Amino acid sequence: MQNRAKVVDENFIRRVELGDLPSSPISLSLADVGLRPPELVELFESQLMSRHLDLQSRLLQARGEAFYTIGSSGHEGCVAIGKAFDYRDMAFLHYRDAAFLIQRSKQLPGETILYDMLLSFAASADDPISGGRHKVLGSKRLAVPPQTSTIASHLPKAVGAAYSIPLAKRMKLDGGLPHDGVVLCSFGDASSNHSTAQGAINAAAWAAYQKVPMPLVFVCEDNGIGISTATPEGWVAANYANRPGLKYIYCDGLNLLDTYRKAREAAFYARRHRLPVFLHMRTVRLMGHAGSDAQTAYLERQAIEAMEAQDPLLHTARLLIDNAVLDAAQICELYEAMRERTARVAEQAIKRPKLKTSEQVMASLIPPKSNLPAFKPAMPEARSEIFARESRFLNEPQHMARLINWTLADLMLEQSNIILAGEDIGPKGGVYNVTGKLSERFGQHRVINTLLDEQSILGLAIGLGHNGFLPIPEIQFLAYVHNAEDQIRGEAATLSFFSNGQYSNPMVLRVAGLAYQKGFGGHFHNDNSLAVFRDIPGLVVACPSNGADAVEMLRACVKLAQEQQRVVVFIEPIALYMTRDLHEEGDGLWTHDYVPPAEAKPIQPGEFGQYGEGTELCILTYGNGYFLSRQAAKVLEEQHGIDLRVIDLRWLAPLNEAQLAEVIAPCAHLLIVDECRGAGSVSEALMAMVQEQIQDKRQALDKPALKVKRLTAAESFIPLGRAATCTLPSKESILALALNLLGKDASRSSVNVKTA
Amino acid sequence: MKQKALVICPGRGTYNKEELGYLQRFHAAEEGSDKAAFFARLDSYRQHQGQIPVSELDGRDTFVMREHTRGDNASPLIHACAYADFLSIDREQFDVVAITGNSMGWYIALAAAQALKEPAAIEVINTMGTLMQESMIGGQMIYPLVDENWRLIPGRRDYLLALMASINQQAEADLYISIELGGLLVFGGNEVALKQLLEQLPPEQGRFPLRLHNHAAFHTPLLKAIAEQGQKMLGAELFEAPAIPLIDGRGHIWQPYSTDTQALHQYTLGHQVYLAYDFSKALEVSVKEFAPDRIIILGPGNTLGGAVAQALININWQGLSCKADFISQQKQDPYVLAMGMEEQRVKVCG
Repeated sequence: MQNRAKVVDENFIRRVELGDLPSSPISLSLADVGLRPPELVELFESQLMSRHLDLQSRLLQARGEAFYTIGSSGHEGCVAIGKAFDYRDMAFLHYRDAAFLIQRSKQLPGETILYDMLLSFAASADDPISGGRHKVLGSKRLAVPPQTSTIASHLPKAVGAAYSIPLAKRMKLDGGLPHDGVVLCSFGDASSNHSTAQGAINAAAWAAYQKVPMPLVFVCEDNGIGISTATPEGWVAANYANRPGLKYIYCDGLNLLDTYRKAREAAFYARRHRLPVFLHMRTVRLMGHAGSDAQTAYLERQAIEAMEAQDPLLHTARLLIDNAVLDAAQICELYEAMRERTARVAEQAIKRPKLKTSEQVMASLIPPKSNLPAFKPAMPEARSEIFARESRFLNEPQHMARLINWTLADLMLEQSNIILAGEDIGPKGGVYNVTGKLSERFGQHRVINTLLDEQSILGLAIGLGHNGFLPIPEIQFLAYVHNAEDQIRGEAATLSFFSNGQYSNPMVLRVAGLAYQKGFGGHFHNDNSLAVFRDIPGLVVACPSNGADAVEMLRACVKLAQEQQRVVVFIEPIALYMTRDLHEEGDGLWTHDYVPPAEAKPIQPGEFGQYGEGTELCILTYGNGYFLSRQAAKVLEEQHGIDLRVIDLRWLAPLNEAQLAEVIAPCAHLLIVDECRGAGSVSEALMAMVQEQIQDKRQALDKPALKVKRLTAAESFIPLGRAATCTLPSKESILALALNLLGKDASRSSVNVKTA
Repeated sequence: MKQKALVICPGRGTYNKEELGYLQRFHAAEEGSDKAAFFARLDSYRQHQGQIPVSELDGRDTFVMREHTRGDNASPLIHACAYADFLSIDREQFDVVAITGNSMGWYIALAAAQALKEPAAIEVINTMGTLMQESMIGGQMIYPLVDENWRLIPGRRDYLLALMASINQQAEADLYISIELGGLLVFGGNEVALKQLLEQLPPEQGRFPLRLHNHAAFHTPLLKAIAEQGQKMLGAELFEAPAIPLIDGRGHIWQPYSTDTQALHQYTLGHQVYLAYDFSKALEVSVKEFAPDRIIILGPGNTLGGAVAQALININWQGLSCKADFISQQKQDPYVLAMGMEEQRVKVCG
């Protein structure tokens, strides 16, 4: 046990026995706040359990039996918040809120919170929330989704979940959260400064300011310090007390009566008015940031002792004695009994099995199949109504943007839990009109025009996913994902993993991206790197190269999200949105008929597109690269007589390695064309795969090696204007490299070819 | 160092032919003791009510099914045996850290934990037993969830729930889960439903489906009127906070200093009477949250031993995965001590 933990532990008994208890300026009685004596004891018991879990975690860590000592000591006042909210009110908790979870568990008979938390400390596979993957606070039954909450990245989804409640009520959707519920999220004073927290709080207030219902309570637990950096005195109140759209309530977290009264007020306000509340709770931090934290390096001894003197357990002891609920001896008896019980249960918990293999660890990366009822196809009358004004176009081939628009319309008609959300996607129809008229057809509650904040958009989607919706958020440009990537990387993609598959946040994230926009250019609208998505375990990344594929792939993505609860990213190549022709103006080869759902020819996840059956050359590509490769292929076939095939990967993660090996196998030459920058690109993975799965096998069989070349964009950002494409693969550079690979003379081509 | 013990109080159906004379056998030699005084007060209460004293029932020459298993006799008889057993636990050796019970055993658990002081316990148990006997609404039937090795039979629960739902489709049939009893599922229902159940359940393991003689449809909504009657007759003032943590038939923990006695009264004569009793959950919460060194099952009888073991196996407690594991553990160093079994009883009484 670290010194300060020992001091805090010993202080408690000594000071209770001596009657040396901290005073409080608040004079409230039990009756004032509507608490009965046994309820105050119950809150105290939860505080004790939380404290002894902290102490026990340090003992277990010293024995090598526990792995995480960051604790809740000093924050135990949150038990009163745990009591003030119904256990069905979804709570995204601060990592110092063990006491909240303990108290909440008492609302539901049959919970085994002490044992369960110790299993979590011990990283046991039996841990009912994470299955041994992390020490997180969470519970499926208690509506506490797990997350690490260290950098306030859970706040945007709390806003989303809160937004989902009135929406579900309006749409008569039963997604699990009660229609009169509220959402709670807690965090520390330090992380309230995080841009993610600021964005989320701003988003909630922005919505409330314009009367959008937002039953949400932010709980800021202010212990005055973030690891070693002090929060300026009065900063949190100064920052949040006067925000438009946000009700500010302060409570003293050292005083259970005050905290309970204010927490009830906050819960009542948020539930009744469906407006956000900022509940600012004073706490202290005891025992340092974590077990390894030497506070004396940055705090004076007197400051540490001053915090310890304000131990909330001592404050509760005072309340118990002053209200004649318990005497000092009974309080000490409870304290020691809880220590002994915690230790005993710990000895059982640490014996439980641990995760041992990568298969066991990875078992929950992908969520289990959903048990949502299958959706029924839309009735023809409903379709006729929706497509009434489009009918004259329906029988003509269309470009990708319009085909995606119609696909979204059909999906929204068929699957009533789909919600679109993004910047300018409402009446304007998005910057490329892909969502045109959807707002008009399905209502602004299903096609949400969000504020300009990508973290909030993704948080909204995650939160909606927690309540039975299938969100299809849109990020306006690929370059804008980066400021919000943690919402996918750290939150959405990890939820199933950290909850052992119990929680999921299915979504299809539409991102307009990649380069080649004519007459435009510029990095921010032509970003050509997908590395941000490629390495996220469990994420599915789709990228259609043409409208017909986009229709079926988008349907497949929605099916993946709906039926398998997956997080799917759908990259829409902007340059191909309006492209109609492939080889020459007016050929219309890049337009396609819209195939209605009833006649769909599904494209399965991982299934490639293929042009040609030739074996002399295989071009492996996707997106704009496929479009350009098809142009080059015509020249290669017609002018050089090359027998080739062009493979459209379509699905960039996970790569269908087995099918790839199969399509490449009969070919003598392989050209990989990647419109993204080489570093971290899908073509890097393809090169590695070719070596590991094809070349090595060929070598083992004494077969000649496959001749391989790769063409990628240069390691540059995209410039403006005419220079916009000069760092990118082109029809010409594909042609040149293909001929070079084949050992052919490029001069026979009618186009001007530069050597790549 | 004292061993930490969880105490389990038995319910109806534990005083059978073999148990006749239990009080005399295990508790007679203590005249003038607390126990003797308790028996005297219980007998006197019974006499005052015009009922047969329990010592007389226990002292009969022969076990008479229709007499000994009647609710108004069985309940106080089992109460007497179990409570006397509780008093016999060697407190020098064992520190009782939590108490739970099965079904009617909940009342005895309340008595053992002093949430019902002796006169209150006598009144509550005798009254509820008598109410049950007077009304005799429906009955109980048992069917296994586990095989003969005490391993869960895949699909069995779903099958039984589906069967229950199909029987309930019939207008006059009322069937419910009455008790989750380790490896056994106890149904409670009216005669129409129980007849259907009996006809439709395939015979198994030589004794199932098993109808419990003289038992009503305990812990089902059929007994709601009894619960209301009980609440009228037995006031909340009879209840006190327990001296030892109690775990009820939902798995809720009642702690000594934080028990709301009104709520305890309400649960005991409300939910507990007319909604399912989850003994398996009670046991799970007890072992996980209190980690006892031993589990002591009070007598009479030892019918609860199997259910306790099965409930432990279901949660793989301490690695137990089947009957053989349990038997082997019991041989080496018995984790479960049943006071109804003489060789284990001596380990408890010292």
